[in-house]
Amino acid sequence: METAQPAVRLDGVQFTTDRFRLGPIHLEVPRGYVTAIVGPNGSGKSSTFRLLLDLIKPEAGTIELLGSRPHSRNPELRQRLAYVPETNSDCDEGLRASEKAAFHQLWYPTWDVNRYQELLRRFDVDPSVRLGKMSKGMRQKLELALALAHQPELLLLDEPSSGLDPIAWKHMLETLSRYMEDGSRTILVASHLIEEVRRLADYIVVMSRGQVLGVYEKDALFDNWRTYYLIGDGLEERMLTQGPGVHAVERMGGQAYKLISSASQSTEQWLHREALPVTGQQPMELDDIMEALIARQQPFS
Amino acid sequence: MWIPIQINDQSAEPLYYQIEVQLRALILSGQLMSGTLLPSIRELALQLKCSVITIRRVYQDLEAEGLLRTKQGTGTFVADVGEQARDTHRLKAVEAAMDSAVEAGRRANCTPEELDQLYREAVARSQYKR
Repeated sequence: METAQPAVRLDGVQFTTDRFRLGPIHLEVPRGYVTAIVGPNGSGKSSTFRLLLDLIKPEAGTIELLGSRPHSRNPELRQRLAYVPETNSDCDEGLRASEKAAFHQLWYPTWDVNRYQELLRRFDVDPSVRLGKMSKGMRQKLELALALAHQPELLLLDEPSSGLDPIAWKHMLETLSRYMEDGSRTILVASHLIEEVRRLADYIVVMSRGQVLGVYEKDALFDNWRTYYLIGDGLEERMLTQGPGVHAVERMGGQAYKLISSASQSTEQWLHREALPVTGQQPMELDDIMEALIARQQPFS
Repeated sequence: MWIPIQINDQSAEPLYYQIEVQLRALILSGQLMSGTLLPSIRELALQLKCSVITIRRVYQDLEAEGLLRTKQGTGTFVADVGEQARDTHRLKAVEAAMDSAVEAGRRANCTPEELDQLYREAVARSQYKR
Protein backbone atom coordinates (compact mmCIF):
# COMPACT_ATOMS: atom_id res chain seq x y z
CA MET A 1 0.00 0.00 0.00
CA GLU A 2 0.99 3.61 -0.47
CA THR A 3 2.82 5.41 2.28
CA ALA A 4 0.57 8.47 1.93
CA GLN A 5 -1.84 9.19 4.71
CA PRO A 6 -4.80 6.80 4.50
CA ALA A 7 -8.23 8.21 3.67
CA VAL A 8 -9.76 6.36 6.60
CA ARG A 9 -8.07 4.98 9.68
CA LEU A 10 -9.67 3.00 12.49
CA ASP A 11 -7.48 2.15 15.41
CA GLY A 12 -8.79 -0.20 18.09
CA VAL A 13 -12.34 0.94 17.48
CA GLN A 14 -15.03 -0.79 19.53
CA PHE A 15 -18.76 -0.46 19.69
CA THR A 16 -21.20 -2.65 21.61
CA THR A 17 -24.94 -2.95 21.88
CA ASP A 18 -26.76 -5.64 23.84
CA ARG A 19 -26.99 -7.78 20.72
CA PHE A 20 -23.82 -6.97 18.80
CA ARG A 21 -20.16 -6.31 19.39
CA LEU A 22 -18.02 -4.58 16.80
CA GLY A 23 -14.25 -4.62 17.00
CA PRO A 24 -11.68 -3.94 18.13
CA ILE A 25 -11.16 -2.84 14.54
CA HIS A 26 -7.85 -1.79 13.05
CA LEU A 27 -8.25 -0.73 9.45
CA GLU A 28 -6.57 1.62 7.01
CA VAL A 29 -8.27 2.52 3.75
CA PRO A 30 -5.67 3.76 1.26
CA ARG A 31 -6.20 7.02 -0.61
CA GLY A 32 -6.69 6.85 -4.35
CA TYR A 33 -8.22 3.38 -4.38
CA VAL A 34 -11.56 1.61 -4.26
CA THR A 35 -11.83 -0.52 -1.14
CA ALA A 36 -14.78 -2.90 -0.84
CA ILE A 37 -16.04 -4.23 2.48
CA VAL A 38 -17.60 -7.66 2.13
CA GLY A 39 -19.10 -9.96 4.70
CA PRO A 40 -22.28 -11.78 5.67
CA ASN A 41 -25.30 -9.96 7.08
CA GLY A 42 -24.59 -8.67 10.55
CA SER A 43 -20.83 -8.61 10.10
CA GLY A 44 -20.62 -4.93 11.03
CA LYS A 45 -20.37 -3.19 7.66
CA SER A 46 -23.16 -0.69 8.23
CA SER A 47 -22.12 -0.04 11.83
CA THR A 48 -18.66 0.79 10.54
CA PHE A 49 -20.17 3.38 8.19
CA ARG A 50 -22.26 4.81 11.03
CA LEU A 51 -19.13 5.17 13.12
CA LEU A 52 -17.31 6.96 10.29
CA LEU A 53 -20.22 9.39 9.92
CA ASP A 54 -20.33 10.04 13.65
CA LEU A 55 -23.90 8.75 13.81
CA ILE A 56 -22.77 6.46 16.62
CA LYS A 57 -19.77 6.93 18.92
CA PRO A 58 -17.15 4.28 19.60
CA GLU A 59 -16.52 3.33 23.24
CA ALA A 60 -12.84 2.86 22.53
CA GLY A 61 -10.30 3.58 19.82
CA THR A 62 -9.79 6.41 17.39
CA ILE A 63 -11.21 7.14 13.94
CA GLU A 64 -9.70 9.44 11.34
CA LEU A 65 -11.26 10.56 8.07
CA LEU A 66 -9.01 12.46 5.67
CA GLY A 67 -6.76 13.25 8.60
CA SER A 68 -9.50 14.58 10.91
CA ARG A 69 -11.69 13.14 13.63
CA PRO A 70 -15.21 12.54 12.36
CA HIS A 71 -17.62 15.03 13.82
CA SER A 72 -21.08 15.57 12.49
CA ARG A 73 -20.70 19.25 13.27
CA ASN A 74 -17.46 19.65 11.35
CA PRO A 75 -18.76 21.11 8.08
CA GLU A 76 -15.31 21.36 6.51
CA LEU A 77 -14.83 17.63 6.79
CA ARG A 78 -18.39 16.88 5.68
CA GLN A 79 -17.87 18.98 2.55
CA ARG A 80 -14.99 16.73 1.51
CA LEU A 81 -16.99 13.52 1.74
CA ALA A 82 -20.25 12.03 0.60
CA TYR A 83 -22.32 9.12 1.83
CA VAL A 84 -25.00 7.16 0.03
CA PRO A 85 -26.90 4.97 2.51
CA GLU A 86 -28.49 1.67 1.65
CA THR A 87 -31.97 2.85 2.51
CA ASN A 88 -32.97 6.46 2.27
CA SER A 89 -34.73 8.33 5.02
CA ASP A 90 -38.38 9.08 4.41
CA CYS A 91 -38.29 12.56 5.95
CA ASP A 92 -37.69 14.24 2.59
CA GLU A 93 -40.26 12.29 0.58
CA GLY A 94 -42.31 15.40 -0.09
CA LEU A 95 -39.36 17.14 -1.74
CA ARG A 96 -38.74 17.24 -5.46
CA ALA A 97 -35.28 16.23 -6.62
CA SER A 98 -34.63 19.80 -7.75
CA GLU A 99 -35.45 21.08 -4.24
CA LYS A 100 -33.14 18.61 -2.61
CA ALA A 101 -30.38 19.58 -5.05
CA ALA A 102 -30.87 23.25 -4.12
CA PHE A 103 -30.46 22.28 -0.49
CA HIS A 104 -27.23 20.39 -1.25
CA GLN A 105 -25.94 23.35 -3.19
CA LEU A 106 -26.22 25.50 -0.03
CA TRP A 107 -24.00 23.17 1.94
CA TYR A 108 -21.32 22.35 -0.60
CA PRO A 109 -19.21 25.22 -1.96
CA THR A 110 -17.71 22.85 -4.53
CA TRP A 111 -21.15 21.92 -5.93
CA ASP A 112 -20.91 21.62 -9.71
CA VAL A 113 -24.30 22.20 -11.27
CA ASN A 114 -23.20 21.08 -14.74
CA ARG A 115 -21.88 17.85 -13.38
CA TYR A 116 -25.10 17.30 -11.48
CA GLN A 117 -27.18 17.85 -14.62
CA GLU A 118 -24.94 15.54 -16.61
CA LEU A 119 -25.33 12.80 -13.99
CA LEU A 120 -29.11 13.16 -13.99
CA ARG A 121 -29.13 12.76 -17.76
CA ARG A 122 -26.79 9.82 -17.63
CA PHE A 123 -28.85 8.09 -14.95
CA ASP A 124 -32.10 9.09 -16.63
CA VAL A 125 -33.59 10.77 -13.54
CA ASP A 126 -36.47 13.23 -13.81
CA PRO A 127 -35.72 16.00 -11.25
CA SER A 128 -39.34 17.21 -11.09
CA VAL A 129 -40.59 14.02 -9.42
CA ARG A 130 -41.13 13.99 -5.66
CA LEU A 131 -38.71 11.69 -3.84
CA GLY A 132 -41.56 9.75 -2.26
CA LYS A 133 -42.93 8.89 -5.72
CA MET A 134 -39.63 7.57 -7.06
CA SER A 135 -38.92 3.86 -7.42
CA LYS A 136 -36.12 2.53 -5.24
CA GLY A 137 -33.71 2.45 -8.18
CA MET A 138 -34.60 5.96 -9.34
CA ARG A 139 -34.10 7.29 -5.83
CA GLN A 140 -30.76 5.49 -5.58
CA LYS A 141 -29.58 7.05 -8.85
CA LEU A 142 -30.61 10.51 -7.65
CA GLU A 143 -28.70 10.02 -4.39
CA LEU A 144 -25.61 8.98 -6.34
CA ALA A 145 -25.85 12.07 -8.54
CA LEU A 146 -26.25 14.27 -5.45
CA ALA A 147 -23.27 12.60 -3.80
CA LEU A 148 -20.98 13.00 -6.80
CA ALA A 149 -21.96 16.55 -7.77
CA HIS A 150 -19.71 18.22 -5.21
CA GLN A 151 -16.71 16.08 -6.22
CA PRO A 152 -15.98 14.63 -2.78
CA GLU A 153 -12.52 13.35 -1.90
CA LEU A 154 -14.01 10.41 -0.05
CA LEU A 155 -17.14 8.58 -1.14
CA LEU A 156 -18.84 6.16 1.24
CA LEU A 157 -21.32 3.80 -0.41
CA ASP A 158 -23.47 1.28 1.43
CA GLU A 159 -24.85 -1.27 -1.06
CA PRO A 160 -24.98 1.30 -3.87
CA SER A 161 -26.57 -1.02 -6.41
CA SER A 162 -29.70 -1.88 -4.44
CA GLY A 163 -32.70 -1.40 -6.69
CA LEU A 164 -30.70 -0.63 -9.84
CA ASP A 165 -31.50 -2.37 -13.10
CA PRO A 166 -28.53 -3.93 -14.98
CA ILE A 167 -28.06 -0.97 -17.30
CA ALA A 168 -28.22 1.62 -14.54
CA TRP A 169 -25.81 -0.57 -12.59
CA LYS A 170 -23.36 -0.58 -15.49
CA HIS A 171 -23.65 3.21 -15.81
CA MET A 172 -22.98 3.52 -12.11
CA LEU A 173 -19.81 1.44 -12.35
CA GLU A 174 -18.56 3.52 -15.26
CA THR A 175 -19.39 6.76 -13.48
CA LEU A 176 -17.60 5.65 -10.32
CA SER A 177 -14.62 4.48 -12.33
CA ARG A 178 -14.43 7.88 -14.05
CA TYR A 179 -14.75 9.64 -10.71
CA MET A 180 -11.62 7.72 -9.62
CA GLU A 181 -9.60 8.86 -12.69
CA ASP A 182 -8.29 11.82 -10.76
CA GLY A 183 -6.12 9.45 -8.71
CA SER A 184 -6.48 11.17 -5.34
CA ARG A 185 -10.06 10.19 -4.61
CA THR A 186 -11.17 7.28 -2.49
CA ILE A 187 -14.22 5.02 -2.43
CA LEU A 188 -15.17 2.82 0.49
CA VAL A 189 -18.04 0.59 -0.55
CA ALA A 190 -19.96 -2.13 1.25
CA SER A 191 -21.29 -4.64 -1.23
CA HIS A 192 -23.01 -8.00 -1.36
CA LEU A 193 -22.59 -8.24 -5.11
CA ILE A 194 -19.60 -10.35 -6.07
CA GLU A 195 -19.60 -9.01 -9.61
CA GLU A 196 -19.59 -5.44 -8.35
CA VAL A 197 -16.56 -6.11 -6.16
CA ARG A 198 -14.89 -7.92 -9.04
CA ARG A 199 -15.23 -4.94 -11.34
CA LEU A 200 -14.79 -2.02 -9.02
CA ALA A 201 -12.52 -2.85 -6.10
CA ASP A 202 -8.76 -2.57 -5.73
CA TYR A 203 -8.70 -3.78 -2.12
CA ILE A 204 -11.09 -6.09 -0.32
CA VAL A 205 -11.82 -6.01 3.40
CA VAL A 206 -13.45 -9.17 4.72
CA MET A 207 -15.60 -8.70 7.82
CA SER A 208 -17.45 -11.24 9.90
CA ARG A 209 -19.17 -11.07 13.29
CA GLY A 210 -17.87 -7.61 14.03
CA GLN A 211 -14.26 -8.39 13.16
CA VAL A 212 -12.01 -7.55 10.23
CA LEU A 213 -10.64 -10.89 9.04
CA GLY A 214 -8.24 -9.36 6.58
CA VAL A 215 -7.47 -6.72 3.97
CA TYR A 216 -6.38 -8.03 0.59
CA GLU A 217 -5.32 -6.66 -2.73
CA LYS A 218 -8.07 -7.99 -4.96
CA ASP A 219 -6.04 -9.63 -7.71
CA ALA A 220 -3.54 -11.12 -5.26
CA LEU A 221 -6.49 -12.63 -3.37
CA PHE A 222 -7.86 -14.31 -6.49
CA ASP A 223 -4.38 -15.40 -7.60
CA ASN A 224 -3.60 -16.91 -4.21
CA TRP A 225 -6.77 -18.86 -3.50
CA ARG A 226 -7.31 -22.05 -5.51
CA THR A 227 -9.00 -25.41 -5.15
CA TYR A 228 -7.25 -28.66 -6.04
CA TYR A 229 -8.82 -32.09 -6.43
CA LEU A 230 -6.82 -35.20 -5.62
CA ILE A 231 -7.71 -38.84 -6.08
CA GLY A 232 -5.43 -41.73 -5.15
CA ASP A 233 -4.65 -44.58 -2.77
CA GLY A 234 -2.74 -43.76 0.35
CA LEU A 235 -3.75 -40.12 0.55
CA GLU A 236 -4.25 -39.00 4.12
CA GLU A 237 -6.14 -36.00 5.32
CA ARG A 238 -3.61 -35.28 8.06
CA MET A 239 -0.71 -35.27 5.62
CA LEU A 240 -2.56 -33.05 3.11
CA THR A 241 -3.50 -30.53 5.81
CA GLN A 242 0.19 -29.94 6.46
CA GLY A 243 1.01 -28.97 2.88
CA PRO A 244 2.33 -25.43 2.41
CA GLY A 245 -0.45 -22.92 1.79
CA VAL A 246 -3.17 -25.49 2.47
CA HIS A 247 -6.07 -23.76 4.18
CA ALA A 248 -8.52 -26.64 4.40
CA VAL A 249 -8.93 -30.24 3.27
CA GLU A 250 -12.26 -31.88 2.64
CA ARG A 251 -12.82 -35.56 2.00
CA MET A 252 -15.11 -35.98 -0.97
CA GLY A 253 -15.73 -39.68 -0.40
CA GLY A 254 -13.59 -42.66 -1.36
CA GLN A 255 -10.03 -41.63 -2.03
CA ALA A 256 -10.99 -38.19 -3.34
CA TYR A 257 -10.02 -35.00 -1.55
CA LYS A 258 -10.67 -31.33 -2.14
CA LEU A 259 -7.89 -29.07 -1.04
CA ILE A 260 -8.31 -25.31 -0.56
CA SER A 261 -5.12 -23.30 -0.82
CA SER A 262 -4.58 -19.70 0.21
CA ALA A 263 -1.09 -19.63 -1.30
CA SER A 264 -1.53 -21.43 -4.60
CA GLN A 265 2.07 -21.06 -5.77
CA SER A 266 3.59 -22.82 -2.75
CA THR A 267 0.86 -25.43 -2.76
CA GLU A 268 1.33 -26.12 -6.44
CA GLN A 269 5.10 -26.52 -6.09
CA TRP A 270 4.56 -28.90 -3.20
CA LEU A 271 1.95 -30.98 -5.06
CA HIS A 272 4.38 -31.20 -7.96
CA ARG A 273 7.40 -32.03 -5.81
CA GLU A 274 5.56 -34.76 -3.89
CA ALA A 275 4.05 -36.03 -7.18
CA LEU A 276 0.59 -36.08 -5.61
CA PRO A 277 -2.28 -37.27 -7.85
CA VAL A 278 -3.96 -33.97 -8.81
CA THR A 279 -6.93 -34.57 -11.09
CA GLY A 280 -8.14 -31.01 -11.38
CA GLN A 281 -7.91 -27.47 -10.11
CA GLN A 282 -10.06 -24.43 -10.11
CA PRO A 283 -9.97 -20.75 -9.17
CA MET A 284 -12.25 -19.63 -6.36
CA GLU A 285 -15.01 -17.06 -6.33
CA LEU A 286 -15.20 -14.41 -3.65
CA ASP A 287 -18.06 -16.11 -1.79
CA ASP A 288 -16.05 -19.35 -1.52
CA ILE A 289 -12.98 -17.49 -0.28
CA MET A 290 -15.09 -15.62 2.29
CA GLU A 291 -16.64 -18.85 3.47
CA ALA A 292 -13.22 -20.46 3.90
CA LEU A 293 -11.91 -17.44 5.82
CA ILE A 294 -14.95 -17.31 8.09
CA ALA A 295 -14.78 -21.04 8.79
CA ARG A 296 -11.36 -20.45 10.34
CA GLN A 297 -12.49 -17.51 12.47
CA GLN A 298 -12.06 -18.07 16.19
CA PRO A 299 -15.48 -18.51 17.79
CA PHE A 300 -16.27 -15.21 19.51
CA SER A 301 -12.79 -14.34 20.67
CA MET B 1 -10.24 2.40 -26.31
CA TRP B 2 -10.82 -1.32 -26.08
CA ILE B 3 -7.71 -3.51 -25.87
CA PRO B 4 -8.15 -7.14 -26.99
CA ILE B 5 -6.85 -8.88 -23.89
CA GLN B 6 -8.52 -12.09 -22.75
CA ILE B 7 -8.23 -13.19 -19.14
CA ASN B 8 -8.30 -16.92 -18.56
CA ASP B 9 -9.89 -17.39 -15.14
CA GLN B 10 -8.94 -21.05 -15.09
CA SER B 11 -5.26 -20.40 -15.68
CA ALA B 12 -2.89 -20.79 -12.75
CA GLU B 13 -0.83 -17.88 -14.06
CA PRO B 14 -1.09 -14.70 -12.01
CA LEU B 15 -3.38 -12.06 -13.48
CA TYR B 16 -0.70 -9.39 -13.93
CA TYR B 17 1.41 -11.91 -15.86
CA GLN B 18 -1.42 -12.85 -18.23
CA ILE B 19 -2.11 -9.19 -18.97
CA GLU B 20 1.55 -8.32 -19.37
CA VAL B 21 2.27 -11.16 -21.81
CA GLN B 22 -0.69 -10.25 -24.00
CA LEU B 23 -0.09 -6.52 -23.98
CA ARG B 24 3.57 -7.08 -24.82
CA ALA B 25 2.56 -9.34 -27.71
CA LEU B 26 0.10 -6.73 -29.02
CA ILE B 27 2.85 -4.12 -29.05
CA LEU B 28 5.57 -6.33 -30.50
CA SER B 29 3.34 -7.74 -33.20
CA GLY B 30 2.54 -4.18 -34.27
CA GLN B 31 -1.19 -4.57 -33.54
CA LEU B 32 -0.79 -1.62 -31.21
CA MET B 33 1.29 0.83 -33.18
CA SER B 34 3.83 3.19 -31.71
CA GLY B 35 2.25 6.39 -30.52
CA THR B 36 -1.07 4.71 -29.63
CA LEU B 37 -2.58 6.17 -26.47
CA LEU B 38 -3.49 3.35 -24.09
CA PRO B 39 -6.56 3.48 -21.81
CA SER B 40 -5.98 5.01 -18.40
CA ILE B 41 -5.04 2.62 -15.61
CA ARG B 42 -8.51 2.88 -14.09
CA GLU B 43 -10.26 2.31 -17.43
CA LEU B 44 -8.30 -0.81 -18.28
CA ALA B 45 -8.81 -2.11 -14.75
CA LEU B 46 -12.58 -1.80 -15.17
CA GLN B 47 -12.45 -3.48 -18.57
CA LEU B 48 -10.40 -6.42 -17.33
CA LYS B 49 -12.07 -6.57 -13.89
CA CYS B 50 -8.78 -6.27 -12.09
CA SER B 51 -7.34 -3.74 -9.69
CA VAL B 52 -5.45 -0.59 -10.67
CA ILE B 53 -2.53 -2.03 -8.75
CA THR B 54 -2.20 -4.80 -11.33
CA ILE B 55 -2.50 -2.50 -14.36
CA ARG B 56 -0.01 -0.04 -12.88
CA ARG B 57 2.44 -2.89 -12.41
CA VAL B 58 2.01 -4.01 -16.03
CA TYR B 59 2.44 -0.47 -17.38
CA GLN B 60 5.54 0.03 -15.21
CA ASP B 61 7.11 -3.27 -16.29
CA LEU B 62 6.53 -2.57 -19.98
CA GLU B 63 7.80 0.97 -19.56
CA ALA B 64 10.98 -0.42 -18.03
CA GLU B 65 11.31 -2.70 -21.06
CA GLY B 66 11.02 0.36 -23.29
CA LEU B 67 7.71 -0.71 -24.85
CA LEU B 68 5.63 2.04 -23.25
CA ARG B 69 6.27 5.61 -22.27
CA THR B 70 4.27 7.79 -19.91
CA LYS B 71 3.79 11.49 -20.41
CA GLN B 72 2.90 13.27 -17.20
CA GLY B 73 -0.69 14.42 -17.36
CA THR B 74 -1.35 12.98 -20.83
CA GLY B 75 -1.24 9.24 -20.45
CA THR B 76 0.60 6.12 -21.45
CA PHE B 77 1.66 5.58 -25.06
CA VAL B 78 3.15 2.76 -27.06
CA ALA B 79 6.84 3.52 -27.61
CA ASP B 80 8.83 3.10 -30.83
CA VAL B 81 9.85 -0.52 -30.91
CA GLY B 82 12.80 -1.39 -33.12
CA GLU B 83 12.66 -4.18 -35.70
CA GLN B 84 15.23 -6.16 -33.74
CA ALA B 85 13.24 -6.05 -30.50
CA ARG B 86 10.19 -7.14 -32.45
CA ASP B 87 12.03 -10.15 -33.79
CA THR B 88 13.44 -11.31 -30.46
CA HIS B 89 10.05 -10.97 -28.80
CA ARG B 90 7.98 -12.30 -31.66
CA LEU B 91 8.20 -15.94 -30.61
CA LYS B 92 8.01 -15.38 -26.84
CA ALA B 93 4.21 -15.64 -26.58
CA VAL B 94 4.17 -18.72 -28.81
CA GLU B 95 6.90 -20.27 -26.70
CA ALA B 96 4.86 -19.72 -23.54
CA ALA B 97 1.78 -21.31 -25.13
CA MET B 98 3.89 -24.30 -26.18
CA ASP B 99 5.21 -24.66 -22.64
CA SER B 100 1.71 -24.83 -21.21
CA ALA B 101 0.66 -27.35 -23.86
CA VAL B 102 3.63 -29.54 -22.98
CA GLU B 103 2.75 -29.19 -19.30
CA ALA B 104 -0.82 -30.34 -20.03
CA GLY B 105 0.64 -33.31 -21.87
CA ARG B 106 2.92 -34.15 -18.98
CA ARG B 107 -0.05 -34.19 -16.60
CA ALA B 108 -1.80 -36.65 -18.92
CA ASN B 109 1.35 -38.81 -18.99
CA CYS B 110 2.00 -38.28 -22.70
CA THR B 111 5.26 -39.54 -24.15
CA PRO B 112 7.38 -37.10 -26.20
CA GLU B 113 6.34 -39.08 -29.30
CA GLU B 114 2.68 -38.60 -28.52
CA LEU B 115 3.25 -34.87 -28.01
CA ASP B 116 5.04 -34.73 -31.33
CA GLN B 117 2.12 -36.45 -33.02
CA LEU B 118 -0.42 -34.12 -31.34
CA TYR B 119 1.57 -31.09 -32.43
CA ARG B 120 1.61 -32.24 -36.07
CA GLU B 121 -2.11 -32.94 -35.97
CA ALA B 122 -2.83 -29.48 -34.54
CA VAL B 123 -0.82 -27.83 -37.32
CA ALA B 124 -2.61 -29.95 -39.93
CA ARG B 125 -6.01 -29.03 -38.49
CA SER B 126 -5.29 -25.30 -38.55
CA GLN B 127 -4.07 -25.46 -42.16
CA TYR B 128 -7.17 -27.38 -43.08
CA LYS B 129 -9.33 -24.61 -41.57
CA ARG B 130 -7.64 -21.99 -43.71
